[in-house]
Amino acid sequence: MAKIQYPNPKFWKAKDNINWKKQGENLKEVLGIFGGMLKETDWQQFGKDMANVLKADGERIKGEYADFMALDKDEKIDRIINGERSLGRLYRKGAMATVRREWRGIKDTAYDFWEWARMWGMLLMTFSKDLIPAMNSALWYRWMISYFCCHGFMDKNILGLRGSNLRMSHEVTYQIFRYVAENLVLLSKADRKNGNSDELNKMMFTFDEMTMGQIACGFPDLCAIPHQLLPMFLVSEIDQLVCIPYIDAVESFGLPSDTCPVPSSECGALVINALPDMGSLFISSSMPCDGSTMASSYFSRRFPNTPVFHLCFPVRYMDEETVQMGAEDIKACIKKIEEVTGAKWNWDHYFECMKRFNQETDLELQKWEINKSAYPQFIGPSYELFRKWNYEMDGGSDPRVVPSMEKVNKMLLKAYENKETAWPARKMRYRAIVWSCPAHYYANFSNWLANCWGINVLVEMESLNFTKHLETEDKEEALRDLARLYERMVMRRHTNGGYQNVVDECWRQVEAWNAPLVIMYQNVACKNMATVQGMLDEQGRQRGYDLIWVEHDLMDPRTVSRRTMRDKVNEYMRTVKHAEPVDPSLVEFEDEVCM
Amino acid sequence: MKDLKHLIYFESLLENADNELVKKAQADGGIALGYTCFHIPEVLLNVDNCFSTRLRAPNTGSIDIATYYMSNYTCEYARALLERAIEGGYQFLDALIGVDACSMMNRSMEHFEILQVNDKPNFFVTHCDMPFKITDYTLDGYERQMQVRVLDRLHEVFGVDVSDAAIRKAVEEHNEVCRIISEIREMRKKANPVITGYEFHILNLVTYVCPKALILPYLRETLEELKHRRPDRKSPFRARVAIVGSEIDDPNLTKLIEDVGALVVSDRYCFGSTPGREVIELKDDEPALRQICLHYMQVSECARYISDEKVLQRRETSDRLAKEFGAEGIIYEQMKYCDYWGFERALVSHIMSEEYGWPVLSIDRLYNNGNSGQLRTRVQAFVESLEIKRIHKEEGKK
Repeated sequence: MAKIQYPNPKFWKAKDNINWKKQGENLKEVLGIFGGMLKETDWQQFGKDMANVLKADGERIKGEYADFMALDKDEKIDRIINGERSLGRLYRKGAMATVRREWRGIKDTAYDFWEWARMWGMLLMTFSKDLIPAMNSALWYRWMISYFCCHGFMDKNILGLRGSNLRMSHEVTYQIFRYVAENLVLLSKADRKNGNSDELNKMMFTFDEMTMGQIACGFPDLCAIPHQLLPMFLVSEIDQLVCIPYIDAVESFGLPSDTCPVPSSECGALVINALPDMGSLFISSSMPCDGSTMASSYFSRRFPNTPVFHLCFPVRYMDEETVQMGAEDIKACIKKIEEVTGAKWNWDHYFECMKRFNQETDLELQKWEINKSAYPQFIGPSYELFRKWNYEMDGGSDPRVVPSMEKVNKMLLKAYENKETAWPARKMRYRAIVWSCPAHYYANFSNWLANCWGINVLVEMESLNFTKHLETEDKEEALRDLARLYERMVMRRHTNGGYQNVVDECWRQVEAWNAPLVIMYQNVACKNMATVQGMLDEQGRQRGYDLIWVEHDLMDPRTVSRRTMRDKVNEYMRTVKHAEPVDPSLVEFEDEVCM
Repeated sequence: MKDLKHLIYFESLLENADNELVKKAQADGGIALGYTCFHIPEVLLNVDNCFSTRLRAPNTGSIDIATYYMSNYTCEYARALLERAIEGGYQFLDALIGVDACSMMNRSMEHFEILQVNDKPNFFVTHCDMPFKITDYTLDGYERQMQVRVLDRLHEVFGVDVSDAAIRKAVEEHNEVCRIISEIREMRKKANPVITGYEFHILNLVTYVCPKALILPYLRETLEELKHRRPDRKSPFRARVAIVGSEIDDPNLTKLIEDVGALVVSDRYCFGSTPGREVIELKDDEPALRQICLHYMQVSECARYISDEKVLQRRETSDRLAKEFGAEGIIYEQMKYCDYWGFERALVSHIMSEEYGWPVLSIDRLYNNGNSGQLRTRVQAFVESLEIKRIHKEEGKK
């Protein structure tokens, strides 16, 4: 079998068909908006605000200098070599970003800067493959603007990290961002409002962001993009405020505000035409939950010319009686893709990717083994996000990922042998797991837990998915395995198919990870989890575990702010655990608009 | 109009899940099978000596304990059932036939098991997986679930005869109920019908909650009575509306709507007569179970069905019913916190208005609505808007 390059070079080579007249009209509209904004700006106030920022910066620098000078010699050396300790001073009220980058000590700051530059290099190289549609996307979609802050996201996720954990986090973040950048370019190329590449659209199918990407492994000649992942879900983790206009749009349209912000944002973006129009087929999904199921009607309404295949898996997935139905649906989906695109399912390529995916699963399990030990090494939001992306979206399709994971695991084992601690500047005080719909990316929460209270989140519920090796020889069994995998997708494995998967499983994991502290994220709009709240509370209490309930509303911080989330932990730690914070500067700070 | 002879009796049957006829059937050796969702073919729960009773929680007051378990932003119907179960209100059930169709109802039923709300030694709860679309393989899956999760369990636990012949017998009885209700429903098409929406709601509800054999004599008599009933000379209603949406088992909602002047002529909602009271036509040369499963898949109007043809079917059915029953507007409703109908209502209430040209009132509501002043005001305003439209139309004609 001839080696197939990833991503397929013909996707990049597909010819654009930009309608310049339409672009001109859009540009005129955007300039009109900018003009209006400039006209309405109170420049006097703006000047005052800028002066205040400069003044605040001056005072901060003075304060930091004074604090440093007040340290004794050893402490000064420690700060220079190991970095700063009071991270709360990086935040300022009203600022959209931290006031400066973190000082991590000479070696780690230099390394961090290298990674910062490497990331920029990759982004520039990738976007240069077809720059104009990608840049134009920023004029069509406000969510695209938030991607300009992706370095801020990287910084946020590695706040307080040093040594091996920092290096491993950078490595996996790079993998995710490369995927994002490549797909943003392809998305912009294909978008009929923008690059309008007929050639690419014929080769492209899109799928629901909550659907796993493995099915695309059987179609190496096709470009498969999760339709809403980049415009909604992922970007909201970079900028928690980005989905608010979409949520507002759909609620104005009539959707009740008690629904999950994920499908609400998707539907809102569809209502106001803020999603790209691309691909020759859309694969919708009944997963992970009731709200997501319904979003496909909104898609059909917005893009009536794009055929939709509804991939629907049984909910009672532990019941083996249901597996065949899932496998049959996958077959039907493959057939539909073949019909619409003319491409043919390629078993050889699929098996090759699944072998890679199995290898990736093994590498993941190695991380779990280390993190379950007394010396967990690779923890924090970068790892958690990578696990999700790798499991759900990459799924063995990109051959560049395995070497990267091997590199990470090499560092991991070395760090374990050296008995490094995941957060060197701090003492690991509590071992914790995260349960329920995670909010730590939006709120940079697991990072904050470690930096502020020494709570080390070893694993989160959504990482603990399917670890069985997928079949790579028998075709019928391979489809059944694929169905089993899809049924255990992120956000579904625990919340569907019976309470045992989320309640009993929680206690099992607490034991397995030796983590009697559970951060119980409580997404106020998630009915699957809300309906077991009492049970979890009752059984957790009976078992003597510390359950810290943290309400949140995913990408809608207006319902529960990040500060309110932190307060729940602060209160619990002070009143129940009688603990002192590791970094008191992080107990109370303002970050309402900070990405 | 003269009061219906059995109306007060029917109302009394709706006062408790464990009503007089349920007690009588159990005393005669009947096996009471509770269920809530249309996805469970009702007729399968009426085989042999079993009888189905669709669960309601009438006169629900506080649901604090259920709220502790299921939180306060989940479906009130699901919570009300759990609360009633904890109170002991479903102790009479011999089994609960559940579906994993919507997560909140599924969790409610799981709590029946975990909290052991029923201490009958053979009591069981079963959870069935439901399809999202109609294809050969989803029909296979559905049929298999009904066989394994429902019929086999009934046979294993209670020794129930679940043969093809027993199923066909249950279908016959079921069809008689459906024919009577359908005939009564047809009467609502008249300009000045002999039955109000409230009365029909009561009649239809008792067919869901009572053993079929025991309610049938009353239904037959009521049908005859209606055939000879004289309507008021002038209809007291100011407008005619169709209701479309999620579960309504509270006849007081229909009463509230009719009290402000809107005659409810069509009930396309869960617990309503569409779907639910369609006759099941069985062929002799195919197993009854498969035909029944296909029937329920086809007539279902549940928003959970995701495929394009079912999405369109729901819109077309609403339009067809509203036209056939002479409605002037459609009330799209959803139980608060219902995700399926929340998304469906928001979108389709626009579509029915913009594409189908119907005046639409779009509401979300609680489980019990009889005293909702806010809802009353909204319906009043809708009735007035319908009247104004009618006046404008008439003026236009002139």
